[in-house]
Amino acid sequence: MTAVLSARSLGIRYGGSIAVHDAVIDVGAGRMVAVAGANGAGKSTLVNALAGWSRGSPTVSGEVLLNGQNISGLAAHERSRRGLQHVPEGKNVFGELTVDENLNLVRKGDDAAGRYLFSREEVINLFPRLHERRTHKGSALSGGERQMLAMGRALLAGPRVLLLDEPSVGLAPRLIGEVLAVVRLLVDRGLPVLVVDQNVRAVLEVADELYLLERGRIVGHGSASSMRHDDRIMKAYLGGLTE
Amino acid sequence: MNFSQQAINGLVIGSGYACVALGWTILLGAARLVNFAHGQMYMLAAFICWFILTRAGVSYPVAAVASIVAMALLGVVMQLTMNRLVMTQNLTSLMIVTLGFGYILQGSAGLLFGGAPHTMTTGLAQKQIRIGEVWFTQQDILILVVTLVLYAVIWLLLKRTRQGSIIRSVAEDPKLAQLFGIDSRAVYVGVFVLEAVLVAISAVLVAPRTPILTSMGFEEVITTFVVVVLGGIGNVAGALIVGMALGVFTAFFGALVSPAYTTAAIFAVMLAFLIVRPGGLNTR
Amino acid sequence: MTKLDVERVVSKIDRPAEYRRPLALLAVLCGCIAIYLLPAWLGGSTAMYGLFVMIAILAVMALGVDLVLSYLGEVSLGHTIFWAIGGYAAAILSTTWNVNGWVTATAAIALSLMAAALLGLATLRAREFVFSLVTYAAAVVIAEITFNTDALGGSDGIVGIPALRLPLGFAVFTGRSSADLWPVAFALLLLSLLFVARFRRSRLGTEALMVQMNTPLATSSGLDAHRVRFLVFVVSAPITALAGWLYAYQRAYVGPDMFDMYFLTMMLTSIILVGKRILLASTIGVTLLLIQQNYLSIGGDGNKIVLGGVLVLMLVLWPQGLARLLGDIFTMIVRAVSGRWSRVRTSEAASGKRLRNGE
Repeated sequence: MTAVLSARSLGIRYGGSIAVHDAVIDVGAGRMVAVAGANGAGKSTLVNALAGWSRGSPTVSGEVLLNGQNISGLAAHERSRRGLQHVPEGKNVFGELTVDENLNLVRKGDDAAGRYLFSREEVINLFPRLHERRTHKGSALSGGERQMLAMGRALLAGPRVLLLDEPSVGLAPRLIGEVLAVVRLLVDRGLPVLVVDQNVRAVLEVADELYLLERGRIVGHGSASSMRHDDRIMKAYLGGLTE
Repeated sequence: MNFSQQAINGLVIGSGYACVALGWTILLGAARLVNFAHGQMYMLAAFICWFILTRAGVSYPVAAVASIVAMALLGVVMQLTMNRLVMTQNLTSLMIVTLGFGYILQGSAGLLFGGAPHTMTTGLAQKQIRIGEVWFTQQDILILVVTLVLYAVIWLLLKRTRQGSIIRSVAEDPKLAQLFGIDSRAVYVGVFVLEAVLVAISAVLVAPRTPILTSMGFEEVITTFVVVVLGGIGNVAGALIVGMALGVFTAFFGALVSPAYTTAAIFAVMLAFLIVRPGGLNTR
Repeated sequence: MTKLDVERVVSKIDRPAEYRRPLALLAVLCGCIAIYLLPAWLGGSTAMYGLFVMIAILAVMALGVDLVLSYLGEVSLGHTIFWAIGGYAAAILSTTWNVNGWVTATAAIALSLMAAALLGLATLRAREFVFSLVTYAAAVVIAEITFNTDALGGSDGIVGIPALRLPLGFAVFTGRSSADLWPVAFALLLLSLLFVARFRRSRLGTEALMVQMNTPLATSSGLDAHRVRFLVFVVSAPITALAGWLYAYQRAYVGPDMFDMYFLTMMLTSIILVGKRILLASTIGVTLLLIQQNYLSIGGDGNKIVLGGVLVLMLVLWPQGLARLLGDIFTMIVRAVSGRWSRVRTSEAASGKRLRNGE
């Protein structure tokens, strides 16, 4: 079965230095795929390149396919409109706009085929806090609320695939579990999700597959259960795991 | 000096300042673009309106609309030329490109309209109204009313509509906006055209008050710049308040001291502000 | 990366001053003599000398802006102020007190330094575009003040500037016509170029480049970025002022038209046309632009469109300037030619030879 989102020979470099070599990734329907690796391994760079987006100006080579179609030539906003929803790390909501305004920015794509459509009510049900804080500006929200808002707007856009970069950063441990549980729910409904997160242990609990990234190269790939016991994971995260 | 007369003058002049500055502050806030062609665009809009008014023999409103449409088209052309640079986000180069455009516009206007001063007679500038000791023209009322209406419309657009949210989101973080499916480049074009339209509106309103020259436009740039610095970049309400205040200041300074040095005085006010707040402008 | 490393990197970027090597020095000397004699060889008419003097004056004028652009990476739109200060200093002092050229030149330098210091202080903490905006606004305002102040000649300006007098100890140099003034103009251009070339090697010059390229690193090495910016700006002012000074003598007239957008646009376009951090950029740029103005002119307003158009086109299409563009074309040609050679070689050779990767 062809994956919903694929990367073929994806290479990313900044000027002369190569950040990611020849990456091959598949995210299939109903699958939660995790990407793990030490700090600086290139995880965010990789995910950003899938979305055609970056805060810098990298040179990207290779192919990115969405439902079999080559989207490598499309700009980030085009990919977003086609259903590739990316929730980046760091600033992922607008601080000057209210929660409602952030959500209203999103317009669903015209073509519904293959999209997972969420109504405003469904998003509020998943993240009730957003309704309480709907008139508050993004900058007034807590870290967890901002994460919820970022994910909520990604869902409102009717995604075909969801990319999450460090969704657990800055969140209290209890909240991390809740957020990942929500993600798992969505995946079980069929939405393909790619997650990058420092908190590998928590992610491995809910993910289906894992790719291991080391210095820009994919050095391991397997089911979550088999990768859980992989020595290299332990090595990559020595002393860095949060509980 | 008649105090109430100068106060009324000040409000009218202030409306003019506020109107000219509106588009510029939005453009700067949303696209971080300093449009150095602003003054020449103002001049060109005034001349196009005058030209159509006198040569085509149409009414003032028709000529005004024609001028506004022409400037909107010019805005599209300018922004499309700059589009390549917009992608690289090289703000300094963009700034100098607008400077170059301004010079092109000045040369073009000279070629098309010559170097002699002209007066735009709209009929309204001649109709005086007298209330007690104060007099003003219908043109003055038009400027005041339209400016206030324009500000209200723009404010509502920015704060209450989805398009306004889009503009504000691009102003805050154009990269992040892309992930929301927003084409920042298209927004830049839109905001630039909006600036062109707004500067055209202010030109067709204010220019009839004084003779127009193809060499004009520089004073408008200074007052616009000061209004934006003191009012806050992208701050619509601030631009209106500061514009009005600056207009009143100009009226009284001109009456009490000298009308020739008003621009210098305004600039001095801004310099004082910059020295007290050396951070200057803060966009974030 | 230590401070020494950064300096080494910086000196690699700017091609080393060629006058260090004796053969190159000889070539440059011959070149200078040739250029000095050029107007005479080209007919020696008043117009020809006038063109050459104008090129020299405007090239020096633009060098001031070039210093700020190349070493601070910022665009000063206020150098017309210094240009005007130079001209008006020459005009007022020579017409009122009949002093010689050295006195007026010194005054031009001193006044422009003061003006630059004031403007520099006002923009000390300003970011890029604020700096450009404030310098632009300052120029417009000072232009307006000059236009309205009778003591400065008002809108009519100051006429009847006497011939340039430069007492040289053994003789007095007097210059009225362009042919007379050409040696002075040429000398001014050479001196200014030498000054900028020396500046590149100086401590302030390298500091400025370090700040421009990597501000956090430079600051952590102990450099005060604000001080550097301020000093470079102040140092650049007298260069443009001296150009204005000579301009006054050449025209025998100064007026508020010295603040005309023409000069500002000329300053920027000449540099951008050729490229940043190239010593002869403003000279070559001004030469090209003045040749268009003189020999391919389409009228005053038409020329404005051309000048503005060149500025816009260069920035949109080839922001690195013609020098870089020509360099890229040259490299492409070289690669195409050498690529063809290697293909011929390898097709003749036996298999097993490594193929060079295409680019």
